[in-house]
Amino acid sequence: MSTLITGDRAARLDARPPARPPRLRRWLTGWAFVTPAVALFLLMGVYTIASGFLLSFATWNGFTPQWTWVGLKNYADLLYADLTLAPELRRALWNTLQVMVAVPVLTVVVALPLAMMLNSVTRLRALLRSVYFLPYVTSGIAVYYAWRYVLQPDGAINLLLGSLGLGSLAQPQGWLGNPDTALPTLILILVWSSVPVATLLYLSGLQAIDGNVIEAAQIDGAAPRHVLRHIIWPLLRPITIAIVLLGVRDALHGFQIFLIMTNGGPGGHTDVLGLMTYRLSFMKGLAPTLGVASALGWLLFAGAVLMTLAFGRRVR
Amino acid sequence: MTAGRTLALVLAAAVGLTACNAAQPQQQQQGGTAASLTMWTFKKSHADALNKAAGQFKAETGISVTVEAVTPDDVFVSKVQSAAQTNGLPDVLEVHAGGEDLEMGASGLLQDLAADVNDAWKGRLLPSTQETGVLTQEKIDSVAADSPMKQGKAGQRFSVPFTAGAFGIVYANKDKLKAAGLDPETPPKTWEEFVAALEKTTAADQGGLSLGLKVSQTGFNWIYQPLAYAYLGKERFQALFAKGGTQGFSTPDGVKTLEVYSRLSPYWMPGATTLGIDEADVAFAQGKSAFNVGGTFTLAFLNQNGLSPDKLLTFPIPPSTEGRNQAISMSPLALTGLGVTASTRDREAAVKWIDWVTSPKGAGIVAKESLDLPATDLGAEAETLLGKDLAALQKYFTGPPETAYEAGDSSFFPSDYDQVKPGDLTVRLTPLKELTAQQAGTELDKVIAAMWKSTQ
Repeated sequence: MSTLITGDRAARLDARPPARPPRLRRWLTGWAFVTPAVALFLLMGVYTIASGFLLSFATWNGFTPQWTWVGLKNYADLLYADLTLAPELRRALWNTLQVMVAVPVLTVVVALPLAMMLNSVTRLRALLRSVYFLPYVTSGIAVYYAWRYVLQPDGAINLLLGSLGLGSLAQPQGWLGNPDTALPTLILILVWSSVPVATLLYLSGLQAIDGNVIEAAQIDGAAPRHVLRHIIWPLLRPITIAIVLLGVRDALHGFQIFLIMTNGGPGGHTDVLGLMTYRLSFMKGLAPTLGVASALGWLLFAGAVLMTLAFGRRVR
Repeated sequence: MTAGRTLALVLAAAVGLTACNAAQPQQQQQGGTAASLTMWTFKKSHADALNKAAGQFKAETGISVTVEAVTPDDVFVSKVQSAAQTNGLPDVLEVHAGGEDLEMGASGLLQDLAADVNDAWKGRLLPSTQETGVLTQEKIDSVAADSPMKQGKAGQRFSVPFTAGAFGIVYANKDKLKAAGLDPETPPKTWEEFVAALEKTTAADQGGLSLGLKVSQTGFNWIYQPLAYAYLGKERFQALFAKGGTQGFSTPDGVKTLEVYSRLSPYWMPGATTLGIDEADVAFAQGKSAFNVGGTFTLAFLNQNGLSPDKLLTFPIPPSTEGRNQAISMSPLALTGLGVTASTRDREAAVKWIDWVTSPKGAGIVAKESLDLPATDLGAEAETLLGKDLAALQKYFTGPPETAYEAGDSSFFPSDYDQVKPGDLTVRLTPLKELTAQQAGTELDKVIAAMWKSTQ
């Protein structure tokens, strides 16, 4: 047996390393694998970003062969110079800020207790987790349409309120038709759709916390609220930051729910920056507004970067 | 060896496919003259009707036409935008007339048809639509400096009027009128009678007025403007939008028109501000309202949704007794036009198709199938070709010149006129009641002034 092993080792020592392919061939093979991804990135990433950035300094309607260069005019028009665009931007900005603050805060407020509850139950945990994750799985355009039906004057919510004897709370014009309830309603739907992911993130965070730490605190006489405040909450801070940043990002860029459910109405009360960008891009007929839409997109990007930096600095 | 064999197979397949692709046009050329055209429209009802007409056209000429609907409008525009970039446009496009066609043409997407559309061809069209699709010097001068129309030349024709019609047509459900104790055969003659009829149907639980105010400009364009036109007369109405704003919406006359319009407040269908145009029409067809406002084109959509024309009473937005004009007629304007794309490979066949489909015969087939009025003057044959319900809508097109409201006349607007902004303000006036007529007038003057300033 040992002879065999020795012989095998000797044979291996004697054997020459396998012939390596020539350097150029290896280089070509590597690039052959990488090139599609690089080309795709150059085309879909670098080219579109650079093209979009340049477009923000021009006017174009998507058809004409040439762009008309206007320098910083698009940015100036949006911020102050154009008396029709600037007030529209300010109104949309105010609505966006409300969404940006309310959605992440409410998401955290709902998702954390939910995750803690799911973490504490031992039976049917998988089933409950699936149930709470359903809004995320079904989220999308169809869900927004379904919500519209539910929120109509003769929809399920008004019907439910009426049957519970709470008819005075029902909205005769529908929850999206009343300027006072339209934006809060959309915020609640956004929270509803963002809670599942946040809950899962918190749940995974909770399961990663060492049980001995909590047990030690409990032995030292810490009440559940103290455990939450001084142990769980600080340990889940990175997850909270991620959830808040995701919410802020969605508030800045998201427009589908506003487009489908209210189109910014009634009377412009639910207009947001993402929707304004979409409207300037695709709903102005053939007016040359793609440049100003691009400028608004870059302003949004700059706002997002600044906020992320400020947030990161504060958290650090 | 295996790798080499696989490579050889892939190469052979690629060569084969290339050969097939290369052979295809050759076969077509050898096959003779059978031309084949493609066309895009943004209306589903038009696509079905046009495809039916295309069958007849093929039988007569041997040219086959395939029509595809791309809906809704914004998707159509973005598809045309991307197809233009990738050289994937069809041969013929149906586009909005009097604006979109000119912008596309001046941008180089549509061909100039001025030499093709001779006097005889123009003579087949309704008089008020004949020059739609032609870029005029007046239009070039009036548009904003960055408009693509500045690239065009006066006299170029980029589309041929295809469908025509008018906005501001009220549809009433006869059954609901009867249930509310109203005469289902007699339309209200005045605004006051209309509001009284709304009051009755609402009180009798038969529903009020539906309109897709989610697209906020519908209320302003389709109801307020014809109402204000009849109330003030043409010149005074146009002065509401004039530069300088000395006779604007906040003047006593202007405020009065807004006050008259806001009398609709108690009678809007619940949730009207959350409905799109089609959704409001569907709600009306489902019996959720007694009255619905649209255009002549709405009849087809209502019919598609189960409300047949014989159950409808139609009339234009009636004038107020307090106003200047006691009658109103809606001048028909070309709503859509047909254009030949710059990238077509068979211009001759494309022009031939447009010529045929705008002839009384072709237009009659399309109109009857789509229940949409053609821009082609069908003369004495109108009722035979269109059917009595559709032909009946045409009676609102004629009236004394001073009563003729021209929805297509945009000559008095700022060149960057954005109808959404006055639309939003009038929604805040009614149904939201967030603004009084005076406040709405002041705000309207501000947005119109801002539009004039931004066009300088």
